[in-house]
Amino acid sequence: MTASFTDPNAALSPELAARDDMINCRGVKKWFGDFQALKGVDLTVKDREVMVVLGPSGSGKSTLIRCINRLEVHQEGDITVDGIELTNDLRNIDKIRSEVGMVFQQFNLFPHLTVLDNITLAPIWVRKKARVEAEATARALLERVGIPEQADKFPGQLSGGQQQRVAIARSLAMEPKIMLFDEPTSALDPEMISEVLDVMKGLADSGMTMVVVTHEMGFAREVADRLVFMEEGNVVEINEPGAFFTNPNSDRTKLFLSQIL
Amino acid sequence: MAAIQDDLSMNLEAGGVAPDVRPDTPVKDPVQWMKENLFSSVGNALLTGVFVAVLGGLLWWFVGLVFKDSNDWDAVATNIRLLFSFNYPAEQYIRVWFSLGMLLGAVSLTAAFFDINPSMSVRKLGINASGLGATSLIVGVLPATPSGARIVFLIIGALFLAAGVGTLQAVDEPHKKFVSFPTMLLTFGLSVVAFAWLVPIGRNEFANGAVIDEGGFANPSTKIPWTIMMAILVGVYFLARAVKPMLPVKPVQTFLITFWVAGPAFLIFLVLRDPTFDYDRVLKVDIPWAIGFAVVGGAILYWLTKPMLGEIGRLVAVALLGVAVLNWVAAFFGWWSMLQKTRVSFLVLALFALAAPTFAGEKSARVRYVGAWVAVVALGHWLITGINTTSTLDIAAPPFLGGFTISLVIFYYVMLVSFPLGAIMALARTSTLPIFRVMATVYIEFIRGIPLITVLFFFSSMVSLFLPNGMDLSELAAIFIGYTLFSAAYVAENIRGGLQSVRRGQFEASDALGLTTSQRTIFVVLPQALRVSIPNLVGQAIATFKETSLIFIVGAFDFLRVANVSIASQPDYLGQNLVGLLFVSAVYWVFAYSMSRASRSLETKLGVGSR
Amino acid sequence: MATAQVPQSSSAHAAQQRPPLWRDAGVLKWFAQIVALVLVVGTLWFLSTEAVDNLEAGGISPGTEWLNGPANIQLSEGIDTVPNSAGRALWSGMVTNLRLAVIGIILSTILGLAVGLARLSNNWLANKAASIFIETLRNIPVLVQILLWLTILTSIGALTPDRGPISGWLIISQKGVSGPRIFLADGFYQWAVLMGLAGVVTYFVRKSLNAKRDREGGTSQAGKATVAIMGVSAVVFWFINPIVGFLGTPLQAISDGWGGIPQPVMQAILSALAAGAAVNWIRRFLNSRRTPAGLAKLTDDDYFRMIFAGIAALLAVIVLWRWWPGLSSWIINSGSDFWQVAADKFGDGRGARPLDGMKPTVSEGRFANYGPTGWTLTVFAAALLFGLVFYTASFIAEIIRGGILAVAKGQTEAAAALGLSRSQALRKVILPQAFRIVMPPLGNQYLNITKNTSLAIAVGLSDVVQVGQSLANKNNQFLTVFAIWMLFYLACSLTISLIVNTINARLAIVER
Repeated sequence: MTASFTDPNAALSPELAARDDMINCRGVKKWFGDFQALKGVDLTVKDREVMVVLGPSGSGKSTLIRCINRLEVHQEGDITVDGIELTNDLRNIDKIRSEVGMVFQQFNLFPHLTVLDNITLAPIWVRKKARVEAEATARALLERVGIPEQADKFPGQLSGGQQQRVAIARSLAMEPKIMLFDEPTSALDPEMISEVLDVMKGLADSGMTMVVVTHEMGFAREVADRLVFMEEGNVVEINEPGAFFTNPNSDRTKLFLSQIL
Repeated sequence: MAAIQDDLSMNLEAGGVAPDVRPDTPVKDPVQWMKENLFSSVGNALLTGVFVAVLGGLLWWFVGLVFKDSNDWDAVATNIRLLFSFNYPAEQYIRVWFSLGMLLGAVSLTAAFFDINPSMSVRKLGINASGLGATSLIVGVLPATPSGARIVFLIIGALFLAAGVGTLQAVDEPHKKFVSFPTMLLTFGLSVVAFAWLVPIGRNEFANGAVIDEGGFANPSTKIPWTIMMAILVGVYFLARAVKPMLPVKPVQTFLITFWVAGPAFLIFLVLRDPTFDYDRVLKVDIPWAIGFAVVGGAILYWLTKPMLGEIGRLVAVALLGVAVLNWVAAFFGWWSMLQKTRVSFLVLALFALAAPTFAGEKSARVRYVGAWVAVVALGHWLITGINTTSTLDIAAPPFLGGFTISLVIFYYVMLVSFPLGAIMALARTSTLPIFRVMATVYIEFIRGIPLITVLFFFSSMVSLFLPNGMDLSELAAIFIGYTLFSAAYVAENIRGGLQSVRRGQFEASDALGLTTSQRTIFVVLPQALRVSIPNLVGQAIATFKETSLIFIVGAFDFLRVANVSIASQPDYLGQNLVGLLFVSAVYWVFAYSMSRASRSLETKLGVGSR
Repeated sequence: MATAQVPQSSSAHAAQQRPPLWRDAGVLKWFAQIVALVLVVGTLWFLSTEAVDNLEAGGISPGTEWLNGPANIQLSEGIDTVPNSAGRALWSGMVTNLRLAVIGIILSTILGLAVGLARLSNNWLANKAASIFIETLRNIPVLVQILLWLTILTSIGALTPDRGPISGWLIISQKGVSGPRIFLADGFYQWAVLMGLAGVVTYFVRKSLNAKRDREGGTSQAGKATVAIMGVSAVVFWFINPIVGFLGTPLQAISDGWGGIPQPVMQAILSALAAGAAVNWIRRFLNSRRTPAGLAKLTDDDYFRMIFAGIAALLAVIVLWRWWPGLSSWIINSGSDFWQVAADKFGDGRGARPLDGMKPTVSEGRFANYGPTGWTLTVFAAALLFGLVFYTASFIAEIIRGGILAVAKGQTEAAAALGLSRSQALRKVILPQAFRIVMPPLGNQYLNITKNTSLAIAVGLSDVVQVGQSLANKNNQFLTVFAIWMLFYLACSLTISLIVNTINARLAIVER
């Protein structure tokens, strides 16, 4: 019975099912010392799908997406991103990292560089783009996230919401195929959350493949194609948003929803 | 270089910690461990090769240095008392042992009552033991080692390696099992005693003007006191743990802190005073003055801390300050003379009076303030007597104070006095009053810009020029004053760092509560600032301790001079300064290293780094 | 209008009900400060007059005239080992200090960097070796280490003509260390001028190459171009450097012109500079207090700072005209001398080789010693330098390790997530941030090494402290000697902290 909730292809609409796999995790396990953070995760993310990962803190959500671009090294199982398998091969790691963008909870902007330099750093030095072109792209991206006037300031001079939007622009500048969001709004004041979520919605509408770890239920219900519920390193349920919130399959999910809603 | 850079970034990615261990493989097999940690890539293997060569060469050189044919380690063994306490008479040594016993007892009490019990995992213990064994084996194999010592090194190395590896293999999950502090303490005490009694380390000493250098077991005068010391160290700890539930913990802790601040002054006094010294003078002069100041000053202060006293209190305080300053002026011009400690006491009383309104309050607060004054009087009179009185011990060859003891004494007094001075200067430097700020800044930057040795020269050779005729200062006191003034500037800078880390909100909150500026400083700002600056202050203390070696240059008979000059000019040990210096290095290293380890664990305990 | 009214009425109110003096916070504050100042200045004044009286009672009048008198001492080493005046002896000591400090700073930085990086390596052996290096050396007093080195070096074996380790090239004996020396030959200054020109050309080439990269993308060729241009110029100019010998004539003219400045003119120029600096400072200070709403209300403290700046300038002017007019003529003369020396470096008849080298030699005789040809470190200097370098390097290693680890882990992760390679992340993200963290404590270590050169006295090396001490022991001029020590070390400290502070200010991360 339980296998059906956690089948990586569960709750796929016919349209999504027809698309290519973007991310494929099979039996991913990860330990920190004695503590097992991931206990065999199976997950498939389709092309242009928005997947939201929910779960109590310490359930392994962040570890999972950090494994996808190898900020953490998984110890067992396979992860394939856009057909490239994540192994110790440095060439594969570099390739995946330049295709997968990531937004962090703590922004992690480079404090010694201006906003513009933050965004153009990787395009110039990794993609070997011309500075003129990279700067034009950067300004366009800043326009897109709604803060074109902040280009020449330093991160320390911006508000939290503005910093997070710069971080999103910085990831987008690498023209990634996939965007990973690790609790992007958790470190923000309430009034700044919506400005970041608006940018993310726009991104989802434009057809970006996204994996989002968040506690924003409204966003999850509105934007996600599928929801994943994790607990104690296991995927407990994969479902489409409507069914997830109204009629979840698993008792664990029901309990979780009753606690937060 | 490129290889190092590559490794560096690898390590950064892992956050500087060892790679994750899967629970199914708790102990890695050595081949896999070496593959991961020494030969993970070509660059890494190359680096390993380079370091094997460098480390091997250095060890070879160092072993050769220690066991050189021309070295005579008997020079150190024979002169061990000269090194530690200089010409201290042997028949009075009981006082040195008594003082050491007090200190060790206090260490045990502190450990018991402050719950200091560092434990070590069995895994760490096993790794340390096998590392020590392996190093010892390598030393035993090196050609530079003399054949006599070779056997000892090989045996010790094999024993330790076997014990270490055996422990790691025999115990399941060694990283989860811990050896407790009492066990370690007991093992330490027993090993020292066993070493003193069972290992034939030979007898070396000066007795009746002749050098004794023979084999056999250690002198009774060495091993009996050490046995007693270890008994105190271990016994007091277990005793304290036993009686702890029956005692109120807080007062004992206060007593211990007081002991660590003031106790050494008492012990120094104890070591340097002759038992037949002038009790008459103590009874007729020292004690009456101290009691007089405590009682009369206490009464004045009790009155001054009355709430809402108003200007009259301030006027009294200013008048007291005037008297205190006048006393010094009178001393310079010779109008009237009085005991030095009387002048100091007047000045401190005036400062207490000036600060009184800050501490005004209910009866209990007033009593506590008077209590602080009495404590300061008692401590201050001890200190001044201790440092200003030459020993009345009958010692044939002056100077009486020297060896490692003088380094410790200077270190203790310098830290004790420079701390409050530095705190005051840090406050002045961060104050909003411009003249105070400029004076403190000029002083601090001036002192920090010049080397300690020039300050010591200035005070040891020039201070007598600055004093009016008839006043004099012993050379040791001059060195102490110079060193204290020097150290205070550095202490001030460390405390200033802490003061600057206190948030603005703390100031605003105190002002909003209606605290006065001095109340804000003493009750809110300073406690937070000091907490933050503890690691830096301990670092400063270690630097001060190491720099006590500089008194060698201005002519004091400290540890370093004994090792480098005195021993090397004895007819039996001409030119033996290498062994002496190696020994001095080892002693300094043990002290400085333990201090820095202690400060690191204190830092973790206070959570200073994690804020 | 209303805003203008309010402060006026409140100040009038205050004037009517002025509290009595002993309750007025403003008065008390200044009263306490002035009393403290008078006490401190009075005590210092009293002590110094007392010292002068005591000295004069002993037949010594403190002053500086003796500096021109004969020294009667011999120095262990330095630019002048048998100086003809006391002042010259002290100067030679200072140069020794400075040399040791500069070499010590360079060597300890290199060693500290290597050890610090090894400490971060995940090669177990490198890591352990570095940590043993650090924990051993920084917990043994530097003086003990210096004396240990001296003992080790003096017992290393007597100097003989065929002594090694590399006979004829590198000689280590109880007399010290000697090796081959490269020195500036006659053609160097011409060559340096030409290399400077090549540097300018390189700068512009780099600029245009980088601009091209910014326009068109790809990888910049600037690094390769720099190596090519500088390499080729170095070789070509090595042979054709005499072509700039004509520079001697204009330099000579500058020297003559500088020497011709009358003293009052120089005094006027310097006074104008001091006054200008004060005015400029006050103007900038006022600007910093300007808010969008107009000039902020100035506090007592602000007025005090401005008055302080004014007094400083006034003092400088008084010094220039009244107390020390010789300063201006000294600037004129030494400026002229400087240009003269520069002019002498050019001109005809200069050899074509910019640099030259010589192997060390050993003089024959009963007491073998190093010849003057090689680069030689006496055993005293070697002991001092080894002690200082190893001790300081252990601190620098910890500083560098701490600085790199202090860059938040998130920064490394963000760089990795963007696809920057390891070396790119290190160069563009981690090191620039680590540098800022490292700079202030590193500057402190440089200060320490400079101050610790004074430990030369423990090994009998003639530095400024040792020379001063032996001079003062002869003529009892402790006060002057002490003042010279203070001035010398304060000048060194100020220079180093000025450099560090300037770099720091430029690197500061902009925060809100």
